[in-house]
Amino acid sequence: MAVQVTQAGADTKTGVSGWSLSIAPRRGALSVVEVIVLAACIAAALTMTNRHGVDIMIRTFLWAGLALAWNIAGGYVGLISFGHAAFFGIGAYTSTILLLSYGISPGIGLFGGALLAAAAGALLTVVCARLRGPFFILSTLAAGEVTRIAALNWRSLTGGAEGLEIPAISSATDMVFATQWPYVGLVLSYMLLVFALSVWIERSRYGYYLFATRDNEDGASAIGINPGVMRVSAMALSAALTAIGGTLFVQYFLYLDPTHIISPDISFEFALICAIGGLGTASGPVFGALIIVPASELLRGWLSQSASGLYLVLYGLVVILVILYFPSGISGAIARGWAALTKKKTS
Amino acid sequence: MLRVHDLDAFYDRTQVLHAINLKVDEREIVGLVGANGAGKSSTLLSIVGIKTRTHGEVWLDDERIDHLPAYDRVRRALVLIPERRRLFPFMTVLENLELGAYLPVPRQQRGETLDRVLELLPVLAERRHQVAGSLSGGEQQMCAIGRALMSCPRILMLDEPTEGLAPLYVERLFELVVRLRDSGLTILLVEQNVEHVLEIADRGYVLENGRIVLEDTGRALLQDPRLKTAYLGL
Repeated sequence: MAVQVTQAGADTKTGVSGWSLSIAPRRGALSVVEVIVLAACIAAALTMTNRHGVDIMIRTFLWAGLALAWNIAGGYVGLISFGHAAFFGIGAYTSTILLLSYGISPGIGLFGGALLAAAAGALLTVVCARLRGPFFILSTLAAGEVTRIAALNWRSLTGGAEGLEIPAISSATDMVFATQWPYVGLVLSYMLLVFALSVWIERSRYGYYLFATRDNEDGASAIGINPGVMRVSAMALSAALTAIGGTLFVQYFLYLDPTHIISPDISFEFALICAIGGLGTASGPVFGALIIVPASELLRGWLSQSASGLYLVLYGLVVILVILYFPSGISGAIARGWAALTKKKTS
Repeated sequence: MLRVHDLDAFYDRTQVLHAINLKVDEREIVGLVGANGAGKSSTLLSIVGIKTRTHGEVWLDDERIDHLPAYDRVRRALVLIPERRRLFPFMTVLENLELGAYLPVPRQQRGETLDRVLELLPVLAERRHQVAGSLSGGEQQMCAIGRALMSCPRILMLDEPTEGLAPLYVERLFELVVRLRDSGLTILLVEQNVEHVLEIADRGYVLENGRIVLEDTGRALLQDPRLKTAYLGL
């Protein structure tokens, strides 16, 4: 397989065959910047020893993977969803219930959660097929809230507001570990897997069809693409991957309750990470999570004594500044900066 | 090949087309002309099944297709190049062309079709890695035609293809349409540029207020004084 280093684009005949490596992030190609960032993530995972640092790293990788999953629906096909916490919750609850009630390993249970979430995502998209823009967003928010309320009231299954607790007995089959390292491996693999899938989607014809549906639905129909199928498949895939993240989350924290797991805040966070990192790009959610998650965790720790809640103000300020000055996110800013630099050099 | 029988179309409750009857035979260029707001684009959108609500019949060969969604009509090789081209501006020329080869059969023959399209439209070969939004108007129109050809159409419908183009590109475009017809394609062409389109059209229809008011060969329509009446309301 030929690997070419290009700045402007892959010199391929059909546009989707052969790999290319660009310097700055670019849709459909792996970039040097992305390779460096991912290598740094792996290096950090192998070398970090501080317990609190490892905890932040686990959350960062997990949130990066979840934001990447959200991005498949929100970024690639334009289905901005504020209800992804429902899929996150479906994944977490399914594997936990299967483990606690039937002794089924979460390693298998996560596939059950992914299937259920994919079905829920597909159903939501079919039901809301005629809704666009803010109307679709509100319907996803409502779907998330309905799921949360259902989980709160279905006590026999979910434990209601008291939640469910996984016994903290170390067992590899139950995916419960005494140290943090296995969790680091799990969430890092999850992030890398969803990233690889996102890069594949971007450079595949399936990805083109998703982008075409997002950019111009009538235009897509006019060339034979079925926009409904594209939307449903992207949402189902996104929901399934989010559910897997939900299972990993609950296996790390060993506790779940509807108020925290199916909270709209979780859905907003997925969307914000993508918006800050760069919506509709594979690198954006990773960049976004690498900045937002450690920053909010560290600020919360530093300011919790002197001015608790101030971290939220600072968090909001960062979000506003990034959206104002880097509307295409960090990924877009890097790409634009690199383009400006090379243009200057050439001229 | 394509027959439209008593087609009415509505935007919400407003009727925009009234009992349209037209036919397009194989390897024919049919021109659809009329003043602004006469219903030319609505006719094409109704035939391909985008946006409008319709009553009436649309037949392709022996199959009635008016109940099918737009993407299923395209699967039957009925392809529309919409007004203002509707390219995907952030994708490259090559990616836009790739999108055209969506259907199973064109997908299998993608390489060969792409070679043919790039040979027919060399400007696209030169600009293959450029994003479509950065092309000139004429190049964008060529890209839209190239994308449509990638789906191996039998009937190509073009909606105002010369809109906003420099005169040089207008000439090239009409030459291209004739070449496509000569190569075996059937073409339904909506245009404001009446003289040009009726010169190359085998047959033509004149629309006025959502109704077909004249129908004849292209040359005959050009000589018909009623054409001016329909156009200028004189």
